[in-house]
Amino acid sequence: MKKQLEKLLAEAYAAPEPKKKQAFLMNLKPREVSLPEMLWQQAAYVRWPVWLFAICMMAFAIGGSILHLEDTERIVTVLMPFTAAISVLETNRSTRFGMSEIEMATRFSLRSVLFARMTILGILYAVMLCVSAPMLAYAFGGKLLLTATRILIPYLSTMILSLIAERSALGRKTGYSSAAIAALISLVTFWISQEQSQKFMVLRYTTLLENWGILIVLVLLLLTILEQQKTIRQVEAFA
Amino acid sequence: MKLAVDRITKQYKNKIAVDRISFSLSEGVTGLLGANGAGKTTLLRMMAGILEPTGGEITADDIPVQTENYRALLGYLPQDFGYYPEFTARDFVRYVAALKGIEKKKAWKKTDELLELVGLSEVANKKIRTFSGGMKQRVGIAQALVNDPKILILDEPTAGLDPKERVRFRNLIAEVGKNTIVLFSTHIVSDVEHIASHLLMMRDGQIIYDGKWDESQGDLEKFYMEEFE
Amino acid sequence: MDLENAYDKIYRYAYFRLKNQELAEDITQETFLRFISSYGNLQEYDMRYLYSIAKNLCIDEYRRVKPDPLPEEDEARAAQNIGSTEETAIVRVALSKLPVEDQELLLLRHVNGESVGTIGKALGLSRFAVYRRLKDAEEALRKGLEVSGS
Repeated sequence: MKKQLEKLLAEAYAAPEPKKKQAFLMNLKPREVSLPEMLWQQAAYVRWPVWLFAICMMAFAIGGSILHLEDTERIVTVLMPFTAAISVLETNRSTRFGMSEIEMATRFSLRSVLFARMTILGILYAVMLCVSAPMLAYAFGGKLLLTATRILIPYLSTMILSLIAERSALGRKTGYSSAAIAALISLVTFWISQEQSQKFMVLRYTTLLENWGILIVLVLLLLTILEQQKTIRQVEAFA
Repeated sequence: MKLAVDRITKQYKNKIAVDRISFSLSEGVTGLLGANGAGKTTLLRMMAGILEPTGGEITADDIPVQTENYRALLGYLPQDFGYYPEFTARDFVRYVAALKGIEKKKAWKKTDELLELVGLSEVANKKIRTFSGGMKQRVGIAQALVNDPKILILDEPTAGLDPKERVRFRNLIAEVGKNTIVLFSTHIVSDVEHIASHLLMMRDGQIIYDGKWDESQGDLEKFYMEEFE
Repeated sequence: MDLENAYDKIYRYAYFRLKNQELAEDITQETFLRFISSYGNLQEYDMRYLYSIAKNLCIDEYRRVKPDPLPEEDEARAAQNIGSTEETAIVRVALSKLPVEDQELLLLRHVNGESVGTIGKALGLSRFAVYRRLKDAEEALRKGLEVSGS
């Protein structure tokens, strides 16, 4: 068929401009939400005290290192359990504040929301560690790995215990179990790091870390991941 | 659209909360009536895809309940819900919109429209914790509607509403029900009487009445009492 | 091909069937919604099914409003000054003399630009049948245009 006739046909069949097309199409397209977008979205809902705490810790570590404040490393280590507790509490906000049912009925399952939060906080604290540990190690002449393990051990221990506690019936009822665990671990860490405590121990803490530190951290990391998985899986829902 | 519940069962260790229930719903408002403990909430939670049934299937035009596509069609108001303490009414609805994958600009617009619709636009920026029970419930209704759901499941939506709010709610639901499958549970007979055209009655995990309801059939209150005697 | 394009095609088709802007648009939207409810989403929509859904909806609609015969011309189109040249008017008259099935084929093939295969699936015809009928329709249209003396 000739081009010209096709053009005439098109005109003959032309319909008036549809009126509701755009509105309809906008509604129609089920928007795909990518993982980075979802992480970003959840990050926007992480409360500011969490960011603030992380930033303060980092600022303290950096500042203390630059100014050579003597106890910087020990203070950072002792405060680490609280960072862990905060991140566990932040992850578990849905159940704590009764938002989980509404969140579960959205496009994403609550599991993926939890996962997203854990990932965001994980990234946040990893950044914090990557900045603080080398600064501290450099400033106080320690070995980088030793400093990192010193910081990580109390952090990860608190993570593991808090995750277990928050899942338990008792933990869910009280709501302060994570804080209590953090305080306890913090105290223990403080005690261990005291010079005079060393005589009560079979092995000096530092010696222990030097020999076994990396292994301990790896085991704790593995346990943390397992506990996080359990927490995610515990959410009763589809998929 | 047809929402089909097929032999759905939920069994806890030694108790059957929902016992092989089947029914189907289409556009319009359906009331789910039953005493406390009849299994209404368990049924609705399974229909909202947040509780896994022990057996049976739920589909919306063949889309299974456990898929993201189903959840994309869904609006759900749980019986009890909380809110993050720092949330304002607006934050709350926007947050749910974000989780429902609605693009930001549209979500913000929709949020304001809905808050207006439920009569909360004046207090949109006030913290939810300063709200009365009825106001909080209205926020809940707004969040359920934010994605223009095709299936709207409301668990005891009139709980905590005062008489004026109740009337407003009924009008809203009647409007939404024109092109949406609305299922709401209640134990207040007059809620159903005024807006539902379809009625389900539940007792001991089973549906004991599934049918049309209109005022010509007489006094629902009486009927309800008789059924439950 | 994007969704908007598909919307235009289905809308044009529905408008051809019903000659009413509002109805045509409602049918178009209903077509997409039905498609979604059967196939879950529009990620991989298929013109063939969209046409066949639209066709059935139009037929139902036509039956429903039959007592009140559909107008030959819709005011909305006249108001928007669409296809108002003399030449178009001649084509339109020639078209209106053809059976509606022929008009449908010409629209799908030459305006919406669908392949013979797609048209066949949409209308439930074999490729061969589409091909043959299309030839006949083109021939009939040509004759009609000659008669009207262009």
